[in-house]
Order: sequence, then C-alpha cells, then structure tokens
Amino acid sequence: MQVFEGFTVVELADRRNQFIGKLMAESGARVIQIEPVEGAPGRWIGPFADDQPDPNKCLDYWWYNTGKESAAIDYTRKPGADFVREIALKADVFIESTRPGTLAQYGLDYATLSAANPALIYLSFTDFGQDGPWVDFEMNDYAHLALGGPMGSSGYSDPHETPIGGQRNHAYNMSSVMATHTITGALFERLSSGLGQYIDVAIHDVVGISTEAAVPYWLWYNQAALRQTGQHAAVKYRPTTQILCSDGKLVQVTMPQLPLNGWVQLVKWMEEVGVAGELSDEKWRDDFYRADRLRNGDEIHEGIIRLLSKVTSEEAFHRGQALGMAWAVIRAAEENMNLDHYKQRDYWQPIEQPEIGKTILYPRALLTNDELGTRPTRRAPHLGEHTAPILKNDLGVEDAVIEAMTKTGVVR
Amino acid sequence: MTSKPQLPQGFLTGVRIIDFSWKTVGPWATRMLTPYGAEVIHVEPPHRPDDHRFEFRPVYGDAAKNQIAFRDAPDSPAYYTTPNFSHLHAGKLAINLNTRHPEGKELMEQLVKVSDGLSENFSGGVLDSWGLGWDRLKELNPKLVYLSLSGYGHKGEWGSYRSYGPSAQASSGLTFSSGLPDKNPAGWGYSYMDVTGGWCGGLGMMMGLLRMKRTGEGVYVDYAVTEAAMAMLGPFFLDYQVNNRPTRRPGFPPGNRSIWPEVAPHNTYRCAGIDRQGQDWFVFIACETQEQWESLVEVMGKPELLGDPRFITMQARRENQDVLDDIISTWTAPRRRYEIMTVLQQAGIIAVPIQNAEDRVEYDEQLRHREMYPVIAHPEVGEFEMERYPPRLSRTPADNTGRAPILKEHEEYVFGELLGIDSVGMSRLREGGVI
Repeated sequence: MQVFEGFTVVELADRRNQFIGKLMAESGARVIQIEPVEGAPGRWIGPFADDQPDPNKCLDYWWYNTGKESAAIDYTRKPGADFVREIALKADVFIESTRPGTLAQYGLDYATLSAANPALIYLSFTDFGQDGPWVDFEMNDYAHLALGGPMGSSGYSDPHETPIGGQRNHAYNMSSVMATHTITGALFERLSSGLGQYIDVAIHDVVGISTEAAVPYWLWYNQAALRQTGQHAAVKYRPTTQILCSDGKLVQVTMPQLPLNGWVQLVKWMEEVGVAGELSDEKWRDDFYRADRLRNGDEIHEGIIRLLSKVTSEEAFHRGQALGMAWAVIRAAEENMNLDHYKQRDYWQPIEQPEIGKTILYPRALLTNDELGTRPTRRAPHLGEHTAPILKNDLGVEDAVIEAMTKTGVVR
Repeated sequence: MTSKPQLPQGFLTGVRIIDFSWKTVGPWATRMLTPYGAEVIHVEPPHRPDDHRFEFRPVYGDAAKNQIAFRDAPDSPAYYTTPNFSHLHAGKLAINLNTRHPEGKELMEQLVKVSDGLSENFSGGVLDSWGLGWDRLKELNPKLVYLSLSGYGHKGEWGSYRSYGPSAQASSGLTFSSGLPDKNPAGWGYSYMDVTGGWCGGLGMMMGLLRMKRTGEGVYVDYAVTEAAMAMLGPFFLDYQVNNRPTRRPGFPPGNRSIWPEVAPHNTYRCAGIDRQGQDWFVFIACETQEQWESLVEVMGKPELLGDPRFITMQARRENQDVLDDIISTWTAPRRRYEIMTVLQQAGIIAVPIQNAEDRVEYDEQLRHREMYPVIAHPEVGEFEMERYPPRLSRTPADNTGRAPILKEHEEYVFGELLGIDSVGMSRLREGGVI
C-alpha cells in the first residue's frame, strides 16, 4: 500500500506549493490541481519542449506536477467557487498559497470548509504566513534565498563579490518538504481523532532556519561568518576544498582526518604518483602532530592538491572513498544519469510524454522506496484535462452545464 | 518515583524512536518528531560521545583520547551542550550504549522490540556488522520503521561510500548549478543537504510511521541524500533529455540571474555599507512584470528608460542585462539596503536585502513578529534563544520548549524503567563498559 493511497488532495495551483502535491501524488494520493482557465502560473515558467512556449510543454511544470489531475476552474466566478468548494468538501487535504484573507469571499477559507468537512487538513503555504509586517511583500524564490539566509552564507572568498543563490526553486522546494512532513503528521493524527486542522507554513520561517549553524552561532556567540568559495562560511578564510584533477574536473574534498592506517595508505598513494614530499616523514605518523598541522599548517592540503593534479576526478573519488574520505566529483546534474549506481537503485523512472512522442526518465522525488510509493508513474496533466470528468463523475454536474460553463470561460 | 521524562503531549506521544544519528543530516530527521511528542532516544557510544557536543573538535586517530581529553581539561566547560547539539537534538533523550558488546547488542534488541522506529546515518553496513541489519530488525519487530540516511543509499555499488552535505551537493549537481559563469562553482555556504537533506529523511520516517499506522507493517527506507539532492534539480534532467541542453554549457550557472522564467532585472546589487566581517552589502531586486519594471523606473527617477529600446520589453531587458544591471547598481550603491527594500516594496517590486544570521535575529521584523527565537531553559547552560520549529498547526501545535539532553541523562529511564534492569544490573553494565 502506497502511503497516501486513498487520500484526496486539492491544491490551488501556485508555483510555490506544487512540489507538495507532487510528493503526495507520487506516493499514492489523488491530487487535483485547480488551475485558472488560462493555466497554472507554473505552466509559463520554462524551459519548454523545443523552446516553444506552450502550457502543455513546460518542462518545469512537467516536473512539479507528475501524477496530478487538472481541473481548470475559475473560482473567482460563480459557479466556479461552488464547484471548487464541493470538490474540497470531499477531500482530505486542501493546499492554498493565496494572500491571507483572499479565499473567504469565495467560501474557500478554512472556517467555511472545516465547518462542513471537519476532517479536512487545510494548509496555507505562503511567503510569510498569515500575519506580520512583511506579509504583503512581493517575493520570488531567489528573494527567499536572499532574505532567509542561504545567500548570506554562500558565494566566494572575496568580500566584494556578490552572494550567490542556487538555480531552480530551492526555497520553495525545502519549504515544501517541511510542509509535506507536517501534512503527513496531521494525517497520522487524524487516524486517531478523525479531525482535520489548519496548518500555516511560512516559506520565510522555514528558509530562515535552514542555514545549519549560522543562526545558533549568532545567538550563542554573536559570531559572524565570511562567505567562502564552495565551502561553509566561517570566521576566517580557509584553503579551498575544490581541487582540480588531471582531467580538468573539480573534486570536493574534505581534509583527511584519518586514523594511522588510512594516513599510511594516503601517503603511499602520493608516493605512487611521486608527490608525497615531506609527508613521507615518520613524524607525520603521530596522530597529534598530524592533527595539529591539519589545523595550523598547509602541508597536508598542499599534498592533496599535488596528488589530485596527477589523477583523474573519478580515480580521486573512488580511491579517496576507499580510504574512507567523503570526496566527491563536482558533477553537472545530467552527468549522474549514466552512473550505474543509481540505475542499480532504480532511481530513474520512465514516463511517456505524448507531447514529444517519447519516453523520458524522471528522478524519484525524494526517496527511493516502493513500499511507500515514491515513484512518478504518470505525466503531468494537460491544462483542463480532467475538468469535465471531475465535474461529471465527482460532482454529478450534467454535460450541458459543463458545456455552458466552458463557453462562458468559468471552466476549461 | 518514575524517571520518565516529561515530554510534550502531541500526536506522536507514545511513539518511540531509537536514534543512532550523528553529525547533522541524521539528527535533523528525528528532531522533526520531538515537537509532536515523540520519545526519541539518542544513543551515543560510551567511549565516544556525539562530536557535536564538542564544538566540532576534530576527531583523529584515537577519537576517545581527543574528546575525553577535551572534556576533562581543567578549562573546559562543565557541560557538553553546544549551539549545534542543542539545536539538532532538542527534545530528545540521551543514553550511552556499546552496541558492539554482546550485552549491548542484547539491550539494543530489547529496545527495538519496544520501539516504533529506528534511524541511523552511518555508512552502509554498520548495522549489519552489529548483527542488526534489516532482516534481524524486522524479525525483532515487524512493525518497525527503519530509516537509514546515507549519501548514496545502502543498495548499489556505492553503498559503502561516505558523504556529508557538501559532497552530496557536489555529486548531485547542486554545487555546480550555484555560481557565477566562468568561475568555480560557489556552491552552498553551509550543508544544504545535511539540513534539507535531513528534512527529506524526516519525511521518509513520518511517511513510514503513517503507513505503519494504516497497515500495521514496518518498512525499511534506504534513503540516499544524493537522490533527494538531484530531485531538487528535476527540471535540469528534463531539459537535458528533451532539448539536449546540458547544464555544463557556456554561461551556466548565470549567477543570480534567472534563466527561467525569462525575466530581467533579476540580480543582486551592491548597496551602501559593509557587514562586521567587511563584506559588501547587497540587495536582490527582480521585476517579473511590466508593471514592476515601470514602477522601478519611476522610483529610480529615470523616466527616460521607459522609452529606451534596450529596455522596452522583457525580451529587450534580458538581452541588455549587463547595462541594465549597471544602471540599477548605480542607483543602489549609495543607498542603505533596508531603505531600498522599503521603498521598492511599497512600489510593488520584489526587493529584499541579503540577510545573514545577525540580520535575521536582530533586524528581521517579520521573524520577530512570528516569535522565531523562543527562549529555552537548560539546567547546565541556563536560558538561551533557539530557532523555532516553523510549522503552525491549529489543533496539535508543535512544541518549542524541548531542550537537548545532557550526556546519559535518561539512562535510568531507558535501562531501568523501560527495560527493567535493576540498580545492581546497571552497575554491572557500567563496569563492563556496556553502558
């Protein structure tokens, strides 16, 4: 049994919340995305197949909406709001990302829906939550990485260079993971109580606690950090951990906090390629001497740079791992698709895309586990693909009414 | 008198998790359960307490020697609780247990029988080496939810490989896709994939508990952090397959500019002042609509830009981003960052300062309003502020009063009350180095 099998989720389409529905759809939930008749905002992000803008060919939308059904209904017009309310009253989970106070006028607020469906779990997933001085700010994903801290810690070892945020929707993604965790917990609780509840998740709150030790260290020690190229921000600049290999690729290294046996093997490797230098000296076999120099000297770091300049990135990765060091090749995302390891784990899942006449591979998000589900099996819906079946089969709306509503643009 | 700790009442009250986590990714996964009342028992080896209790003191060779030396040094603090440990283990219980000792293993098996979940982030094969792999765990407790968190997952040819946040980020493509064009990747200045990666594992545990409650069946979740990391980059894999467009291409990553959606301006801009480390202040500004662009031009007092063919459409602004960014930088350079935020937000434009930790604690009015730094009481270090667990639930709220445990704090409860070992037995176990 997939973990969310039997549950119905209704989401009001929004760029911010679409990952939550995807995570639930891939683990068995029926997820109905309520879209505006002109299409969800996520359909217009790009990239598009063949770079031709088309709401049914947006790859960003494909990714975030696998397994969902699309009902294009304008809930700001009568009887669109009534349709959506009826769908929500049959649902287990309702997800929305509108500005606080928007939905009451359409009877889609928590008070209205929960009065008729007390088992409903209702998530408001917004930039700043339901209240506060910044609640009406205009934001996007990068703005959250800036305001919430990730960019403040990330960038280059140069005090005048810009902070950097990662490409794609990281603030939305990380907040969606926590929101899905919360919904899962609320479903767990509901199995006992039979009751739903209201959940308020603010993206800024979540991103704000995501930067590991940065805030705790400020709270305890008033300690401020310097951004550093490719590694943790820290009080002082530290030697680079991105080391160039003989094939021109970078390897992310950790400095070898090795027990004696591992150290001996590392030096042997350096000797094989003729770069051990003074590290072959007996004195380096003393744990405490080595620990001291690792903190206060650069001999080991320089030795690693010499070593990796003589070997390929793949050799550095595998042999480093054999020595117990968590080194990794800095790969471009797509370079993972040919690695046997992930194929052995059944990570890539084929999905047929009739829009382009071929089957492509999707990563599993976020877990690889067939018992829970966590497997994309169906492509994202086309705009309004399920509007008529949902109105007809779920709500009992007659064909003539659907046709009339389609003509007036209330549904599509 | 019971030695049972007072835990908050929540929907996970009565759920017991054995927590073999260390570093960051593992602790986060189980720390997400304590605000809801779960009893999370953090297990540390007697010879090597959790290294986050020691402020990242390096562990070389004989780890015990270093850590115990630090702990016992005359000028060392009396407590074993640090910012990181306090944050990552809030609300948990703590015991010491030598699982490699035959009697330790026996105690462990007893604990498994009375628990609902087990979580660990060791390298692949460690639990198997204790004789406590999934087959044995399942035999002991068919309802157990077992979450292993590792860089590459236990299954597969890299199952024994090691990883931590930055290497998972490097391996997945996260590092590569964060930076300025024609420079080394900037990557992430903290362990994104230890924190968010831990949350993903935590979701796996919560999903496992829900499924267990629905079906009565346990489950083994072999969670690979690099796989979650790749899922954060999903559209890149699609673009590569559909449009034959790899991310390893000239001009990528584009710094803080946006490739999709196709909008400009979308960047960071230097403004007045420096932080206490001497780093320049920056603001982030983006105009995703024509209206926002027109408002920006008005606020900057540059109406001539409206008719300038280089900026007249979104497409034109994208093609002329270099000069556009120069114009905006010239405007932001002498201005203060929060002042820029205020004036541009009032005009409906996306504009925020790049905030560091100090900013978020001291100057962020929104986080203050949301009471994001509640005060926690700790018997050894007194009161301190801690980051709040963010979700707000109306009927079963998350508790934010839990503190991290003192070393071995709950030995009496776990071994005495839970497993029924009397004081003579406990003394013998201590003397034998089992606990």
